[in-house]
Amino acid sequence: MKKSTLSRRTLLRGAGGACLALPLLNVMGGWDKNRLKAAQHPAFVAPKRFVIFWTPNGNVVEHWRPTGSEMAFKLPRILKPLEPHQQDIVVLDGVDALSAYNGPGDAHQKGTGQSLTGTELQEGDFPGDGGNSAGWADGISVDQAIADVVGAQTKFRSLEFGVHVYGANVGSRISYRGPAQPIPPENDPEAAFDRIFGDFEVDPAKKARRIAERRSVLDAVIADYQALMPKLGADDKVKLEAHLAAVRDIEMRLDSEAEAGEACVKPKLGKVDDPMKVANIPKTGKLQMDLLAMALACDQTRVASLMWTNSATGKPFPWLGIPEGHHELAHRGDDDLDAQEKLTKINTWYAEQFAYLLAKLKAIPEGDGTLLDNTLVVWVNEHAKGNDHSRHDMPYVLAGKAGGAVRPGRWMQLGGEVPHNNMWVGCMNAMGLPATSFGNPAYCTGAIDFG
Amino acid sequence: MRKSGILVCVLLAGTAGGCENGSGGKAGDTGATDGSMTGGAVADPTDGGGGGEEASCEALRPGPSPIRRMTRFEYDNTVRDLLGDDSRPAQAFPAEEEAHGFNNNADALVVTGLLAEHYLNAAETLAEKAVKDLPALLGGCAPESEGQDVCAGEFITAFGRRAFRRPLTSEEVDTLTATYARARDDFDFETAIRLTLTSMLQSPHFLYRVEFGAPLDGVTDVVKLAPYELASRLSYFLWGTMPDDALFEAAASGALETPEDVAAQARRMLADPRARVVVRDFHMQWLHLTHLDNLEKDSNIYPDFDPAVRPLLQAEAEAFVDHVIWDGEGDLDTLLLAPFTFMNGELADYYGVAGPKGKDLELVELPEGRASGVLTLGGVMATLAKTNQTSPIHRGAFVRESLLCQVVPPPPDGIVITPPEVDPNLPTRDRFKEHAMDPLCGGCHVLLDPVGFGFEHYDGLGRWRDVEANKPIDASGELVDAQVAGAFDGVPGLAAMLVSSPEVESCMTRQWFRYAQGRAESTEDKCTIEDLGGEFADSGRNIQALIVAITQTDAFLYRRALTGEGGSL
Repeated sequence: MKKSTLSRRTLLRGAGGACLALPLLNVMGGWDKNRLKAAQHPAFVAPKRFVIFWTPNGNVVEHWRPTGSEMAFKLPRILKPLEPHQQDIVVLDGVDALSAYNGPGDAHQKGTGQSLTGTELQEGDFPGDGGNSAGWADGISVDQAIADVVGAQTKFRSLEFGVHVYGANVGSRISYRGPAQPIPPENDPEAAFDRIFGDFEVDPAKKARRIAERRSVLDAVIADYQALMPKLGADDKVKLEAHLAAVRDIEMRLDSEAEAGEACVKPKLGKVDDPMKVANIPKTGKLQMDLLAMALACDQTRVASLMWTNSATGKPFPWLGIPEGHHELAHRGDDDLDAQEKLTKINTWYAEQFAYLLAKLKAIPEGDGTLLDNTLVVWVNEHAKGNDHSRHDMPYVLAGKAGGAVRPGRWMQLGGEVPHNNMWVGCMNAMGLPATSFGNPAYCTGAIDFG
Repeated sequence: MRKSGILVCVLLAGTAGGCENGSGGKAGDTGATDGSMTGGAVADPTDGGGGGEEASCEALRPGPSPIRRMTRFEYDNTVRDLLGDDSRPAQAFPAEEEAHGFNNNADALVVTGLLAEHYLNAAETLAEKAVKDLPALLGGCAPESEGQDVCAGEFITAFGRRAFRRPLTSEEVDTLTATYARARDDFDFETAIRLTLTSMLQSPHFLYRVEFGAPLDGVTDVVKLAPYELASRLSYFLWGTMPDDALFEAAASGALETPEDVAAQARRMLADPRARVVVRDFHMQWLHLTHLDNLEKDSNIYPDFDPAVRPLLQAEAEAFVDHVIWDGEGDLDTLLLAPFTFMNGELADYYGVAGPKGKDLELVELPEGRASGVLTLGGVMATLAKTNQTSPIHRGAFVRESLLCQVVPPPPDGIVITPPEVDPNLPTRDRFKEHAMDPLCGGCHVLLDPVGFGFEHYDGLGRWRDVEANKPIDASGELVDAQVAGAFDGVPGLAAMLVSSPEVESCMTRQWFRYAQGRAESTEDKCTIEDLGGEFADSGRNIQALIVAITQTDAFLYRRALTGEGGSL
């Protein structure tokens, strides 16, 4: 009857139990495997999930690249926090963001706007460093292409989380519904919580009533847009069609919301410190990852992204004792040892956050394994290296098995000049989409096989 | 200085040949969004039309009129005036995407799934609150005595007229009545009113300004705005909210037909305090001060910086703009030249000047040469700076883009872009000079750095300084590739050139036009922009007069007729 993989009782235990170590319910610690009846039923097939983890300003390659061989590799300094998960990750080496060398925009805009779209940006007036230079990305992003298929049955097709993502421009968006249709991330854990669980209703009668009310409202709203549409000019029509599609999407998901409701209880959110304060970034990030994991666990969505700050961010890292802005540090030369040390610390810290997310997903039992086994997580950076904006040998790390389609525990070294579009086709294939191309086909030569 | 075997440039650099020849690199100014054209670093978009202006300005040329949805600011104001709800629900909505320096650009205001959810949630919450005082919502109609359906009908007609900002068509009344009737059958009367209200608050006629226009005799490709449409244009431009009763009344009684009617309303509305909020909003966006709430400084370099000063810097800028526009000279010259600013005790301490002691902001005259209107506001200077030093580049770009309406091309790809490191023994200008010598960078930096150097008396926090790195500040600069160009010394010298520049005058009209119309000027607006410039000059460059003049343009009073499929409106 229900698609959710966790019984309500299990979640009740989680919610009410002694596992409230974090302000947000710690979903991972408190579950009793024996109670996961639905998930352990022989006929149960867990849904696949797809998660993007995005960080800015490039990496420090010499401390990122493993040593050893494909199967027997040693993680270097930056990736060391991933050691407990070494058998769950693919260190993907030798992929180039080739498309991001082309089209309008400066290196940051291209690196960011093309990171998930693999196609040139539109012309536009978002300033690069002081000049007008690019518009939005000109195509759908891979998370959304995947969500169109795997996200059809959940309350949210996808969820976009942000941590101190500043601004509303091409450098602060990674997800796109289509050309020039950026999806803003939610920076505020409280707002994200309200969105996912705020109207959560467990009482079946109340729930049915709310759905009925919403259906009557949304039917009227949809009719209103439909009546207006033929009277509009072409440009306005495009805009309102997107709006109408968004309203329809909510309406279509009214029922799936009801199913998910049976599996979840509303978790409690404690005090949330101002998410737009730089000093709170570590706390905010953990809350967002908790919420992301919870949303997947409760099958509220099957596709999510987490964007850490934004392209060319100038934010410092006071909790690491780094007062300089990230972007300025990233631009310093290779022989500036102080800067390289600080950048290594920053990227190591991001690896710790990535490890935290993996640990969360791994702690959720599902079937014979964990939720991570049914998930594909990809760590994406806008650049390979900050000071020359290189987009060759991008520092990608994949994690999870995508239900068995991905074979992790490997350091995959590709020959170079492999476009990142191929990586996205490989990910789409792993997620069950029979794609052969993604983004601009000019930069796509096939699929990377992760199996 | 470090080198890593790669060319080192500073943040902005010209593509080879891009800036040297004045072609300004690529025309980046979004032909993609609405067909506007702006040239390169030194081009004026209205220069492109060629001859025959006299004849072509006779015809009505309204330019594009894209459908406009409310910004968060407008949504909050509208539900306050419509429902008496001042909870500002839109503050939880995702931020607007910005274009052309403003957050109300129609092309950038698309609706995502997230925003649609917010519209639904906000509408539900607003409607729940509204039905708590059902008698007020029903305008005194008593369902017990007058009948539920009668009261519902009155509610739909009366409330609908204010929510959609025009009388409803009979089809709309029928549709809403059907929605009400279904909900009444399924649930109950109060729920039906609540759900009808919830759906109205998500209607395109509420969230957007939908305009069909009214036919004009003898003209097929252009229509004039219908009176209620003009009422909304006026109220959102001047007040950032829905029309008031007087505007509705004027629209209903045929008193909003002629340009003179519109101008009279505009003048009435400018005298209302609601106009101040909009004029502030324009200036905060134009001066990049919306970034103030995110201002961060390197605590090693600026140990005195306390984030608590952010709202004070904003309050200073708002008090200055309020004073100049509403209480003072009201002109562009004062905006750029005023020798005073506003401070309270805390701000006076921040700037290190003898000034007010209390909490209230007071007008403070600064010593000669230290204050020059918006150019030297602490918030502007601190925003146009790096976390650990000033930024001649950003300050130069601000002059180019915000004051001269020029477009500066981005740096070429694949170069190391690094700001010079702070060096206690070397002043900023010397550190930046080294970088700008590079031929790859110098082409564009000659447009920027020498302008920005003029601001060197203002440190990264916006405070006056006489000395940097133990050397007296050298604030000499040069403005090239501008109609009024030449060498200058410090902000007073630069401001004197700017204030005498026809480019700055024209730019001011264009910035206000963009803000008013929610789009960039297009080639079609050439005559409009020229006319506006003329009016602005004749008024002694008075900002209030400019605002009224905008309401008199073809772009404001007219729109292109709908041409069906493929028609771009």
